[in-house]
Amino acid sequence: MKKSLTRRDFLKITASAPLVGFFSAQQLKQSVDQAMTSYKARVVLIRDAQALDNQRKPRAEVIQRMMDEAVRTLLEEEEPLAAWKKLIKPNDIVGIKSNVWRYIPTTTEVEQAIWRRVREVGVPAKNIAIDDRGVRRNPVFQKATALINARPARTHHWSGLGTCIKNYIMFVPRPSAYHGDACADLAKIWFEYGLKDKTRLNILVMLTPLFHGIGPHHYSERYTWPYCGLIVGIDPVAVDATGLRIIEAKRREYFGRERPLKPPAKHIFLAETRHHLGVADPAKIELITLGWAEGRLI
Amino acid sequence: MEAVDRTTVMKQLIPTKVDSWRAVKDDFYDPQSIFDYIDGAGEVYRAYNFQLLLARRFQGPEGRLIFVDLFFMGSPAEAFGVFTHDREGEKLTIGGSAVYKGGLLSFWKGSYFVSVYAEEETPATKEVVLRLGRLIAKRIKEDSPLPSLVRRLPTASLLPDEVRYFHNHLILNYHYFISEENILELDDKTEAVLGFYQFKEAQEQVKTVLLGIRYPGERQAGQAWRRFIHQYLPEAERLPQALVQTENGLWTGAQKNKNLIAIVFDAPSQEIALSLLTSFLQSL
Repeated sequence: MKKSLTRRDFLKITASAPLVGFFSAQQLKQSVDQAMTSYKARVVLIRDAQALDNQRKPRAEVIQRMMDEAVRTLLEEEEPLAAWKKLIKPNDIVGIKSNVWRYIPTTTEVEQAIWRRVREVGVPAKNIAIDDRGVRRNPVFQKATALINARPARTHHWSGLGTCIKNYIMFVPRPSAYHGDACADLAKIWFEYGLKDKTRLNILVMLTPLFHGIGPHHYSERYTWPYCGLIVGIDPVAVDATGLRIIEAKRREYFGRERPLKPPAKHIFLAETRHHLGVADPAKIELITLGWAEGRLI
Repeated sequence: MEAVDRTTVMKQLIPTKVDSWRAVKDDFYDPQSIFDYIDGAGEVYRAYNFQLLLARRFQGPEGRLIFVDLFFMGSPAEAFGVFTHDREGEKLTIGGSAVYKGGLLSFWKGSYFVSVYAEEETPATKEVVLRLGRLIAKRIKEDSPLPSLVRRLPTASLLPDEVRYFHNHLILNYHYFISEENILELDDKTEAVLGFYQFKEAQEQVKTVLLGIRYPGERQAGQAWRRFIHQYLPEAERLPQALVQTENGLWTGAQKNKNLIAIVFDAPSQEIALSLLTSFLQSL
């Protein structure tokens, strides 16, 4: 039987149109029109087969090189420092929003690769902080004029995917207030807490992503793999949407069939369609791939 | 039972030593502090009204870790419900029901939901995880009756390992999306069960779904019924019975009896839809 549009499908579509891939003719036309007229968000995906050692620990010098190359390419500069100077000024107060999840953190190596370049731009050490769960109490974050957002990609029990968009939930006094409807409105945080305009760079860490979660801890090493990548961009939605495509491709490869995230990572698409934080539609994203190509999945 | 007694009881339910693995740390969490321990998944346990969690960490050879999470859910129904949230894996006979996958054993028994997880999965750690699970299940003396709403599900063609029991619409949408809005007016006072059926009359991979809901009273059931019919099956408002053939050629319908509502989705025939609805609603 030919797949037809049921009322359940319709209710899904009205909640998040791009998520399910069903478009009315009018919606499709609008989508194409927007893609034709709006800017393309540039995203750099960089991979290096040597990014991890035998214990899957990041190699600091490789991570630094990857970060430099990604930021340089993103901002079309010859030298990494010139690119960082486009992002950060010496008088900025810089919060590096990290993620300390026990099983797959942002990693010290990624944090330090950022910190080092921010220092080289000329920002005094006292004006730079790295934090996750303490951002609301951290004096540097309280005064921050610039934020750099770096977190690992992993499936998430309540939002579908742990993303750069979601990483700012620690700025909210009661994070569970955003858990409704699969965390659909996480992008609101970026506006309500003045974070959008401060954020200069988003980095989705794809060194050992988690593509499927189980149990209370939502983790099993079985469902991670050494992807050895970083996704870097100015637009958090474009960065996350690119990460999601890779996670979905890995799930297809591993499970041997289409197996949608549960719950769907609808907050990424709603960040574009409902909150206008950035773009999730691949047609609106200029993806630049660098480095190790084998197993890139995208 | 006082909270202090509950912590003592829970500590006694988990061994402190298994082979060369020793308990090294205990932590208790309540519905407010659970996010400090398990991030977003905490919502699932809160959705089942969990009351107390004992997280005991074991250390074994070469510093390897096993985590035992013992959730006191307040009743066997809640323990069963939270177990049904994730039923994927190898089926085992531990407690009321159990599954194992990827280093993780999950089971329920009495008012407890138990998770035993080896950070590194090896044949040796799997053996310890299963042994720990069996020891804990043996120490929980409480019976494990299924919720009465679950026992209403007709059993012919039912996929028993896919049954879900829950309260709120976020969990409903997690397992079977109906609407972003809470059009069935589910909350922590309602009980709901989802049964998935595979009928030989149906196309391959098309499952029929039976959703049964018990409301605290007839008034709440009536209100939810009217809203559901109005928003989801408006054509049924003009029909003698709420049963329609939907756009995919399958049958969707609903019936109400006192404080119970039954809804069937994607039945291969009108007869099957009616049979499921009436069977569910008849008195036990």
